Amino acid sequence: MEYEVVIGLEVHVELLTKSKLFCCCPNRFVAEPNINTCPGCLGFPGVLPQLNSEAVRHALTASLALNCEIALYSYFDRKNYFYPDIPKGYQLSQFFVPIGSKGFLIIEDDNGKPKTVRIGRVHMEEDAGKLVHAISGNTSLVDYNRAGVPLIEIVTEPDLRSPGESRRYLEQLKGILQYTRVSDCKMEEGSLRCDANVSLRPMGCPDLGSKTELKNMNSFKAVEKSLEHEIKRQRDILRSGKEVITQTLRWDEGSQATIVMRGKLQAHDYRCFTDPELAPIELTEEDVEKARAALPEMADVRAARYVNEYDLPEYDAGVLTSSHGLADYFESCLELYNNPKVTSNWIIGEFTAQLNSTGLEPDQCSFQPKDLVELLLMIDQKLISGKIAKDVLAKAFQRGTSPRLVVEEEGLLQISDQSELEKVIVKVISENPDSVENYRGGKAKSLGFLVGQVMKETEGKANPRLVNELLLKIIGS
Amino acid sequence: MEFRKMTACRAAEAVNNGETTACQLIKEILERCNVLNGKLNTFIKIAGPEALEQAAAVDKQVKSGQKLPLAGVPVAVKDDLCCRDLPTSFGSPAFKNFISPYGAAAVEKLTDAGAVVIGKTNLDDMGIGSTTTSSPAGPALNPWAPDRVAGSAGAAAVAAAQCLIFLESDSGGALRQGASHCGVIGLRPTMGRVSRYGLHTFASSFGQIGITASSTDDILAALEVISGFDARDASTALYREKSAEKNAAVEPEIIKIGYPTAIIALLAPDHRNLMERAREDIEASGFQLTDFKLDLLAEALRAYYIIAFAETSSNLSRFDGIRFGMADYAENLDELYYKSRRLTFGQEASRRSIFGTFILSQGNYDRYYRQALKIWTLVRREFTAVLDQCDLLLMPAVRTLPQLVTEQIDFCRLYEEDLFCAPVSLAGLPSLCLPVGEVDQLPVGLQLVGRPFSEEMLIGAASRIIPEIKFPPNVIC
Repeated sequence: MEYEVVIGLEVHVELLTKSKLFCCCPNRFVAEPNINTCPGCLGFPGVLPQLNSEAVRHALTASLALNCEIALYSYFDRKNYFYPDIPKGYQLSQFFVPIGSKGFLIIEDDNGKPKTVRIGRVHMEEDAGKLVHAISGNTSLVDYNRAGVPLIEIVTEPDLRSPGESRRYLEQLKGILQYTRVSDCKMEEGSLRCDANVSLRPMGCPDLGSKTELKNMNSFKAVEKSLEHEIKRQRDILRSGKEVITQTLRWDEGSQATIVMRGKLQAHDYRCFTDPELAPIELTEEDVEKARAALPEMADVRAARYVNEYDLPEYDAGVLTSSHGLADYFESCLELYNNPKVTSNWIIGEFTAQLNSTGLEPDQCSFQPKDLVELLLMIDQKLISGKIAKDVLAKAFQRGTSPRLVVEEEGLLQISDQSELEKVIVKVISENPDSVENYRGGKAKSLGFLVGQVMKETEGKANPRLVNELLLKIIGS
Repeated sequence: MEFRKMTACRAAEAVNNGETTACQLIKEILERCNVLNGKLNTFIKIAGPEALEQAAAVDKQVKSGQKLPLAGVPVAVKDDLCCRDLPTSFGSPAFKNFISPYGAAAVEKLTDAGAVVIGKTNLDDMGIGSTTTSSPAGPALNPWAPDRVAGSAGAAAVAAAQCLIFLESDSGGALRQGASHCGVIGLRPTMGRVSRYGLHTFASSFGQIGITASSTDDILAALEVISGFDARDASTALYREKSAEKNAAVEPEIIKIGYPTAIIALLAPDHRNLMERAREDIEASGFQLTDFKLDLLAEALRAYYIIAFAETSSNLSRFDGIRFGMADYAENLDELYYKSRRLTFGQEASRRSIFGTFILSQGNYDRYYRQALKIWTLVRREFTAVLDQCDLLLMPAVRTLPQLVTEQIDFCRLYEEDLFCAPVSLAGLPSLCLPVGEVDQLPVGLQLVGRPFSEEMLIGAASRIIPEIKFPPNVIC
């Protein structure tokens, strides 16, 4: 029998705010445990939650970017359960009324056709702390730095039909959340976490089959792989006539397999009720429209604009807009330097190579758009060659100095002085009479060799076009 | 100093104009306080050295020319309000050594105004109850009849002139019933008038900070000091918005007081007579009187308890033995919770946690909690409608005299004691309990209930009604 795959994703995203959701502690990662804590996020008695309005704005932005309807009146509820990583004995979460609902994202399905994935809800909640289990012995320690960090949870309807679709949904979601600067979405650092619900049903069957929940997937690739693995497992079970047991599974990166975490999908009774200590979140139509107007241009729209406005190839436009930072960098350069294709080449090539090797984001590195433009202008003015420019970019990037300074310090200015170059050319010709003969005999390649020798003599500083010109003049005469 | 006839306002005046010093005042009251505490058991902790240190600081400020509204006024604080650098026990042995790193907003405002905290008063286990019989320190005794409980230890302290102002929490009526039992004045302000930051409350929807004193002037002076917006308590935003609606001077002729003829029938004959005499006195003072009835009192009481149980089960969850509560060695997490919560919680805290957990559980939420929320709305509406017809409502505060120390009372009967106080908490209205007479030589008070944020009118009206405050004859000191 043929089976249809049904997948729904629950994505938790940490919001990029200055402080935590209900207290003034900084929202940033620190290695030392329990540094970013206060009586509020440690659950001391008598301390009340104070809602962070920046987090609400981010949640609103994300909801709008995901085409959600906005609840003008929402609030926080208490999800009650005991675990050492939740200091109050409950997690504050928008259980009853999410800020965003009934949204959607359009992705490509496996045949490259557009497909709508419905988003059931986007709601705010606070993160829990982290348990650290001692390697030996039977103690566990708790680090509350993360407790109270603002999250949004984005839940799809069971609309995804393959691991590939799931991955593309996640990529698109990540792009949007990064673009709107709601989150940095670093899966490896835990600022984006994904759980998947997966089930199979006979083709054409309207009812959903029993599902399993997959957790602990640390990359988009892992999501795809674990889904593939789980689908195969479920298909094998169904084909052998058995039933899939509803349970929670953990993806094990080492063995590339899913492992049962909880025997049964524990129907947790969270005893939710509305938090009596926080005021409700009341938004006006005006707030919503303001946030909507402030939404940044999304990646796909931006890429299309690059193609139309700057005449860039689709590939370039796609790469440049793949990250908000890179696209911003590109546009900043264009404000100073009006050659989109050349700028794009350098950003996609050398600049990105440097970013990748250092792990920095475009706005974190000291090599700013004005530096790249300075470099490009030096090439245009024939002060340096393109080849040397690559070297200059790398050095300026790594040293944090301007490209001009690198050129000056290293004496890399291109030699465009005709008489100086002529001396070198004469020397090269006299040292390579064979090549000169070959050229005159019709071997065009030999000219290239001679140019190379001149470049070598000048340590690459000679203006190659001028060298070419002068060589022809001298050999030809 | 003759503390028996002293008011806080008079004391502050004396300190401000140099008739006495805060140090002198505090030294004398500490002596008195210590002696009487042996008989009344009102204080858990008398903070002698700390109080004298505070008093010296007040004297210094006064000497430098500052006028402080509560200069040198000795204040007692119920032990569920956190004071910086003083232990806060919440009436639980688990918090014997807990010193909070933050002070309750209301307490700090009082001390900023020159008041001196002389100690923390006795209370029921986890602050739950209005008898103090479940206190680990044993019950606080009534200065009018030492074989009976005081209800509120601080009300007893005010009645016996161990302090001049007492700051305490009131959820279902502890403050008002205590004032009634001890023959003093107690004000429960509207939710939002006073910041609850630093108050450990078992029921966040109802727990509010109020003032007990022996004169209406003192109540007003303290209220002015402690009320106002505080970003650390979301509920105070309401007051900031409505603060313009302050009431002008109180003229009896234009104030209509509602009299609950139908409710009186629920009272024992002695209490009924008292209520009727009070009606005559009030009429004689020039107020207009009109009849009102409340049909939902019994339902309101049940709704109050259902919501309070639910919130208790959640609010006390943080005492899980991980950060708070008595930890004990355990083999695993469940055992740790079990053991430490067993040690930490007294009978009433356990009972209410279990009830609350039950009420919020799947299925029961709709059956109990949601119904209670509906009643909550109806009760609010009923009170609002009644207060459209009257400016103030006269209501009983207690049903019976304070229980004998030796008496064992079924918990359900204790809950029934809150029949007149809890519905007012549910309606979120301000209420002032004022002494009006005696039954069996024991003082009995009545409640005046007003519209939201009409505390000034309540105080003004009470000042015209209250006969001279009597001093308990048995307290010889």
